[in-house]
Amino acid sequence: MKVYDVVPGLEFDAERDLAQSPAWFLDATHSVPPWTPMFGWFWINFCRHGMQYGAEKLSLPTVHGWDWRFMNGGGYLTLLLVKSEEEKQRREVEFRKAILPLIKDYDGIWNGFVKEVLGRYKKLKELDVDTASNIELLDNFEETINTCRRMWEIHMYMMYGTYTAYILFENMCRELVGIDDTSPSFHRIVSGFDNKVFQVDRRLWEFSKIASDMGLEDVFLKNEEVDIREKLEESDSGHNFLKQFREFLNEDGWRMQRMSEINLPTWVEDPTPALSMVKQFIQKGGAFNLDEERKKISVERIETEKEILAKVPSEQRAWFEPLMRLAQKSGIFSEEHDHYLDLYTHAMMRRSALGMGRRFVKAGAIDDHEDIFFLIPDEVRRAGINPGQFDLRYIVDRRRSEWLEWQKTPNPPAILAEGFDLDQAMGVLVKSNDPIALKVVVGSMPQVRPELKADLYGTCGSPGVAEGTARVIVTEDELHLIKEGDILVAVSTSPSWTPVFSMISGVVVDRGASLSHAAIVGREYGIPVVMNVFEGTAKIQSGQRIRVDANLGAVYILDK
Amino acid sequence: MAKKWIYWFDEIGSDFNDLVGKKCANLGEMTKLGMKVPPGFAISVDGYEQFMEESGAAKEIQSYFHENRAMMSLVGKQVEASREIRRIIESKSLPKEMAQELRHSYETLCHQVGIPDLAVAVRSSGAVSMPGQMETYLNVRGKSELERKVTQVWASAFTARAIAFRLEKNMDIAKAPIGVAVLKMVNAKCAGVVLTVQPTTGNLNKVVVEGNWGLGESVVSGEITPDQFIVDKASGSCETTISPKNKMVCYGQVGTRVAEVPKHLQCEACLAPDELSEIVRIATDVENYFNLPQDMEWVIDQDLPFPENIYWVQARPAKYSKVEQDESVYLADLMSRIFRM
Repeated sequence: MKVYDVVPGLEFDAERDLAQSPAWFLDATHSVPPWTPMFGWFWINFCRHGMQYGAEKLSLPTVHGWDWRFMNGGGYLTLLLVKSEEEKQRREVEFRKAILPLIKDYDGIWNGFVKEVLGRYKKLKELDVDTASNIELLDNFEETINTCRRMWEIHMYMMYGTYTAYILFENMCRELVGIDDTSPSFHRIVSGFDNKVFQVDRRLWEFSKIASDMGLEDVFLKNEEVDIREKLEESDSGHNFLKQFREFLNEDGWRMQRMSEINLPTWVEDPTPALSMVKQFIQKGGAFNLDEERKKISVERIETEKEILAKVPSEQRAWFEPLMRLAQKSGIFSEEHDHYLDLYTHAMMRRSALGMGRRFVKAGAIDDHEDIFFLIPDEVRRAGINPGQFDLRYIVDRRRSEWLEWQKTPNPPAILAEGFDLDQAMGVLVKSNDPIALKVVVGSMPQVRPELKADLYGTCGSPGVAEGTARVIVTEDELHLIKEGDILVAVSTSPSWTPVFSMISGVVVDRGASLSHAAIVGREYGIPVVMNVFEGTAKIQSGQRIRVDANLGAVYILDK
Repeated sequence: MAKKWIYWFDEIGSDFNDLVGKKCANLGEMTKLGMKVPPGFAISVDGYEQFMEESGAAKEIQSYFHENRAMMSLVGKQVEASREIRRIIESKSLPKEMAQELRHSYETLCHQVGIPDLAVAVRSSGAVSMPGQMETYLNVRGKSELERKVTQVWASAFTARAIAFRLEKNMDIAKAPIGVAVLKMVNAKCAGVVLTVQPTTGNLNKVVVEGNWGLGESVVSGEITPDQFIVDKASGSCETTISPKNKMVCYGQVGTRVAEVPKHLQCEACLAPDELSEIVRIATDVENYFNLPQDMEWVIDQDLPFPENIYWVQARPAKYSKVEQDESVYLADLMSRIFRM
């Protein structure tokens, strides 16, 4: 029955869609575990829109962006390739003009976008969703939809632009200096920068010091994460601490525990994840100094820059240096955009949707306010102004049971046409030269080097060597299991995981490339990251001792 | 009671421009920003006017102009007028009450710094830019010498160039709003300028620091080739060019003199690495605060330990030429090629 389509118009249809493209890839970074219907609707519609918008605005010579489909809570994607040589040439001429503003005034453009979205968020937050009229509330919801759409336009325009610069820089490093993006010295050049996500991290570290100064260390150390807030409320100083902490959260806490989902509370609603990060910093003790750690990395970067620049012929330096600066900004953008764009917008979506949900519960349209995540915007609109006139529970029930089914069986990593294999499919991705496909999704293929006798082979995301206890993490809510010195093993990581990077000694991820989250953050924290090992989460078990040598791209399981 | 005409730097800021002149207002603004400027005080335009009235100089000048008005547009006459007016002003001593106040402020300054008969710089501080009105007296010691130099700075408002300028701009010839800055002489190890933009290329990613041994005059006047440090804002990496520096400006018994740089220092960098990075850090902070590239003057005091030894004496928006960035077009071209592979 068509009424139950989660993303009308973009549900995966094997017959038609495989005829359009022979390979569809699961976006495992964002849609495992499967999305709620509400979130899937937003992502499929607008991430798809943003990619095509960005590719078109920049006139990318070889791709029109990506096409997306929804299947059982998973996002499936394929490339929209530019077909004729003639069209490629025409687009290339346009591209050279379209990319110029980003080269000339990158910061001005990015800062302008940040200002624009923060202005939109501010307006959305101005409405008290609990006292507003039904019409105002629905209006707020519609504006949230528009904000999400706009957010993805900015997101993908910026991402395509910066990653293109990054790839060029990488190519030029290979050509002129003889290093590529799996080389440790390459990584040193693109790390050691401040960005918004680290600033938030730093605030949390500062709060750990404030807590110690206020004599609240024990409240953090002797209580379970979930109880910390309540225990803090019991004393005057704890109450004071929470007051300051809430002010900080109102500024910077509009983010999700899971980056690409809205069914978990934001930090503003539930400060437990943020408080547990404060706790982790307290556990590290007073001697730990985040600033010092970060300074070390930036000093290393400056040294490496000198070495690299010295190898570039002097007549090439005039453009090589600005290119290096642009490439360095892609690392900063990769981190920072999550804070200003994805996480913040998703927090706004949750806020508005839950406002609707509470209204619907009051009017009897649904039973629980969180059931709103099993509806899609068209159905929210159906009951938006007159929730008392509609009973939406039959939709919620059916969607919830489907959603629970999706959780049980993992979505296939790729859906391929008959006679088409994964290698061929990967080949198409690589040949597209799509900057996002290359730098986030596919990455370089690991080289298997039998002489190393390693258990897993991957590529270097961040240089270094580490040995420690493996901790396999599937979803964000398991992050608190991580202990100081552990080596994190995951399919991939996302920005809400960033704070644990200050505790762990290394990372192994199944998938990813040099601009994936794990690589960028690993470099900033100076810990080794091995990427693209494909079977890390399958072969490694929590508690095993492992050794990672990111420089060689090798992982060893020490107690098999 | 007469109007207040002496201000400590922490009492003023950029909104005091008309009252104390640009230089003093700037020193006040830097003090507000928390930058370390040499301790001292400003003499306002009111002080100048009070002096001109009470000493009778204003009347004499007025009548001089009145008598010679017809010939004033002749260059030769302007030179003569300048000489005559400066003679009139410099021949007047400070009225008694004003002298007491100035002496009191000077004593307070000496006391603050802990040095009796402290050597100070007496600098003109015009409220509007006026060429040739930049009279400065360095290494001024003692109360009576200070009084003399203050009147000399006031007199310097009447250089021939300044008179010609006022004529050209149709300004009142007899009036000259001029403030005076009186500040501690820094016992300079070295001094120079910092620009938070490369002035020749307009490259906003670079900070250019130039310096020489001794006082900053040798760098500002462009008489010698100073050491140059070009620092990248993002990475902090630095290109250093050490020039052989054979001359420097030092204190003389009175005022300043040009001296030979000792042989072993001529080819040494005049700034230590930590001094350089602190200068760059503060300059970029100031740039960020005003959101404009800055042109600033610094002095390193040889009597103080790092980082207290860095003094600032000037901060103003930098002048630079924007050049068309050809490499942008070239980069766009290179970027388009990666889609061909």
